[in-house]
Amino acid sequence: MKIRHHPEDALLLAHAAGQLPTGPALVVASHLESCPRCRERVREYEALGGALLEAASPAALAPDALARALAAIDATAGASAPLPQAASAAPRRPALPPGTPWPAALDGCSATGWRWMGPGMYWSRITVPQDPAAKLFLLRIGAGKRLPTHTHSDLEMTQVLYGRFDDGRASFGAGDFDAAAGDIHHQPVVAEDGMCICLASVDGRLLFDGVIARTIGGLVGM
Amino acid sequence: MTTVPQPSEWPAQAARSRPPYLSIVTTQQPRGAPPNGDELSSWLQAVASRQDRQAFAAVFKHFAPRVKAYLMRLGTSEAQAEDLVQETMVSVWRKAVLYDPSHAGVSTWIFTIARNLRVDHLRRKGLAIGADADEGEAEALRDESPQPDELLSTREREIRVREAMRQLSDEQAQIVRLSFFEEHPHARIAQELGIPLGTVKSRVRLAVNHLRRLLGALEP
Repeated sequence: MKIRHHPEDALLLAHAAGQLPTGPALVVASHLESCPRCRERVREYEALGGALLEAASPAALAPDALARALAAIDATAGASAPLPQAASAAPRRPALPPGTPWPAALDGCSATGWRWMGPGMYWSRITVPQDPAAKLFLLRIGAGKRLPTHTHSDLEMTQVLYGRFDDGRASFGAGDFDAAAGDIHHQPVVAEDGMCICLASVDGRLLFDGVIARTIGGLVGM
Repeated sequence: MTTVPQPSEWPAQAARSRPPYLSIVTTQQPRGAPPNGDELSSWLQAVASRQDRQAFAAVFKHFAPRVKAYLMRLGTSEAQAEDLVQETMVSVWRKAVLYDPSHAGVSTWIFTIARNLRVDHLRRKGLAIGADADEGEAEALRDESPQPDELLSTREREIRVREAMRQLSDEQAQIVRLSFFEEHPHARIAQELGIPLGTVKSRVRLAVNHLRRLLGALEP
């Protein structure tokens, strides 16, 4: 998988700093799963976070802080080994094509099945339990279909999980990441040879043009 | 709130908080310089292999006050910061067996634990600002058999980021610091630099891109 489009470094650094909102953070995290280059960069920025922590001037702690921590450790002494995550019942997920792994970043999230939103177009709402307001969804668009033209009031982030689309600026394939700022007015078109599945997060409202497009926007809940 | 003496922050710290003549013979000066990465790593390994409380106390004394400072810079209240420091340090104890020196330095590892706990805390409180989901990724990387040169590359990375920060201009270094250690980095950067909020994004981008070039140039 040749990845051509990466998150910009300021975004990777904000991710390493824990400063991204939930939706964008999960889209970036799913990019990292498929991109060793960005993973290494995030490791560098995390190392920078470590260096900054190291250099921070210490704050005074409560006098009993260490005693409290040791007491907490004693209280769970029986379980001193790290507790393996209990495997919970497999959450409901929309089907992905064979060979396309479900992004590990979305583990713990719930997702609806594929919902129809137009000819050849389906979407699945992803809910992050800790942050239900995060606007995160999967889009599955059929071969040759074009998404309704839209702009956004803020920032749209997309990670291509399968297939390929072209939005007039560039072509995006599996593993590619795209951040479209609010001023970009784009109309992604899916390649003729197969469908395309993307993970997307939108910060502001998606603004679709035209009546049908607005209806779809309403369906998607944006 | 009373202060626990922190062994790792003398003489500079002591000089600030005591009359000058006392700072020369501070009673709170156990073993000289702050611990280096290898010492920290060996302490953590002692915690992992034999639940060494002495070693844990040393790690605690070095990091807990810094984690608290970090959390408070990010807008966490003092009481909440104390609680998150507790959570962080208890996690350090529990996860010590998972610490992999070929993946990250100790300060980096503890930074990511504190960062993730803060993000989880914000989400739980419905205050979601940040998020992170690379626990799973770290898990996956841990499964790879450790390569000796990975250990080397971790050490080099730790050195490289410090050197790159040193080479940045004061202003750009400040931008990077605030990006990590500020609740509302953009507003704060605008304020500190006296620039309009609308231009902060491009200033951050310039600073990070410069940092990126420095890191690239420092690569072996």
